[in-house]
Amino acid sequence: MKPNPWTVLVPTVLAIALSACGERASVDPQKQAGGDPVLPAAQNFLVPPMQVPEGVGWQGDARPTVAAGLKIEKIADKLQHPRQLLTLPNGDVLVVESNGPGQEPVTTPKQLVAGLVKSRSGKGGKGGNRITLLRKDAASGKWVQHVFLERLHSPFGVQLIGDTLYVADTGRVMKYAYAAGATRITDPGRELADLPDTINHHWTKSLLASRDGKKLYVGVGSNSNITENGLAVEYRRAAVLEVDVATGASRVFASGLRNPTGLQWEPKTGKLWAIVNERDEIGADLVPDYMTAVQEGGFYGWPYSYYGQHVDHRVSPQRPDLVAKAIKPDYALASHVAPLGLWFYTGTNLPATYRGGAFIGEHGSWDRSPLSGYKVSYVRFVDGRPTGPIVPVVTGFASADEKSLFGAPVGLAQSADGALLIADDVGNAVWAVTGSGS
Amino acid sequence: MNPPVRKRPSKLAAVVFDLLNPVAFGLFAGALIFDVVYASNADILWMKAAAWMIAIGLIAAIAPRLINLVRVWRPLGGVGRPGDRAAFWLHLVGIVAAIVNAFVHSRDAYAVVPEGVWLSVATVALFVIGNVLVSLQPFAHQEHA
Repeated sequence: MKPNPWTVLVPTVLAIALSACGERASVDPQKQAGGDPVLPAAQNFLVPPMQVPEGVGWQGDARPTVAAGLKIEKIADKLQHPRQLLTLPNGDVLVVESNGPGQEPVTTPKQLVAGLVKSRSGKGGKGGNRITLLRKDAASGKWVQHVFLERLHSPFGVQLIGDTLYVADTGRVMKYAYAAGATRITDPGRELADLPDTINHHWTKSLLASRDGKKLYVGVGSNSNITENGLAVEYRRAAVLEVDVATGASRVFASGLRNPTGLQWEPKTGKLWAIVNERDEIGADLVPDYMTAVQEGGFYGWPYSYYGQHVDHRVSPQRPDLVAKAIKPDYALASHVAPLGLWFYTGTNLPATYRGGAFIGEHGSWDRSPLSGYKVSYVRFVDGRPTGPIVPVVTGFASADEKSLFGAPVGLAQSADGALLIADDVGNAVWAVTGSGS
Repeated sequence: MNPPVRKRPSKLAAVVFDLLNPVAFGLFAGALIFDVVYASNADILWMKAAAWMIAIGLIAAIAPRLINLVRVWRPLGGVGRPGDRAAFWLHLVGIVAAIVNAFVHSRDAYAVVPEGVWLSVATVALFVIGNVLVSLQPFAHQEHA
């Protein structure tokens, strides 16, 4: 019996169809850093690329690698998914321990599969829904942990204005009375303002107080990658909201920012800056995440376009009127690095190279081969503008073979003595980076 | 040499085939309708529903297609009929199109259009032609469908 041509043809066609999918990245990440990133043509996939190292944590005395002239030490461990940090005026450090509320329903077959793959990385670890306070013991130099505030609901941003502590839970901004030097808050708290709370595809609500303490800026992520949950659920999302501290009234300050996860004031110009996670699934080298100055009333493209007028054809109906006014972000950080922490360094502990610019905590990719991110980087600022390349500073969070994940940097802060602090939500630790001579 | 054994058609296979075969076809046909609706109004619920219908349709198709494979190529009592064999291949290509379509439907939002619509058209058209060929054959089309 001669072989049937179909028995050869069908598997061949299937194999070609599937192999045409998860391709490897081809653009050098350095060419996607800066004000004018290389943007290859967008493509659609049958199977989007996915590569997720397995979360294993730090074994023994293992620690991230730092650039020359720096040293790193662990100042807290055994935390419950630490995400954000805030240094209080007395030098205490607040660590927000949190993860997503897990309220996004499975509405597509794809979500079933993707959820299983992503949970391997340890990034899906259960969050503490609490804030831990770290206080440095003057005698021993060790940092002591105190459970500071509990029973929160997927908190992320935290700010102190005067004697009031503001915490951005995923669904609302809460306010609590804080007494200087306290190691625990017993105040049940009051709601200042509600925040977009449906689905919470992107659940983090970053928070930044204005210098005069009258406004809070809240980074609210989109409810989808690219409107696959419908446009209605994007109301007041992919935006920076401005909340009036006195009344709790809020308005959209800037929009089109897909997932603005870190907000900071640029120290020289006093301008509001944000880091933003851009869209996925149109290529291993698209779309670069970015940091940008956020202008009042500005529209930055999502979902209709990226980097100015690069139209995203996955959105219907299209909005050429909005694409036309989309602002091109200031500085690209390379594709899928997932920036979740931004800090303008104002101390003197670190060498002069690292003063006056921005550190970026890159949580790391899940949909790119090879991996990108999984490091803390630095971008120099001159006269309030990012200048030059993006430089890796703290690395070694993923193993060299890209199979294991020891840690993943998230929020950044600066300790009272000028150390750069890094929250690590896979290693469940907080790291302090100092000048090696300090 | 073993003595020849008189085989009889499996009643279980007949029941499974008759129950599940129309379910798979119905789900693919429903997915086509929903894909056309989504292409015209971009309301995401239709596309998500179509994605589930294609995925469930593929699962529902596994048993009847395997039963059909045996019936067409290892028929009891003589040679399979040409219409059955043509229908087998048409269904097979329709299933391959549905598998690819399941991946196309994993794309976000309007990236499913237009490929998803055309693949749904292909699956349903191939199933329809196959079913019609089988129906128009003389004799016992129930058994070989």
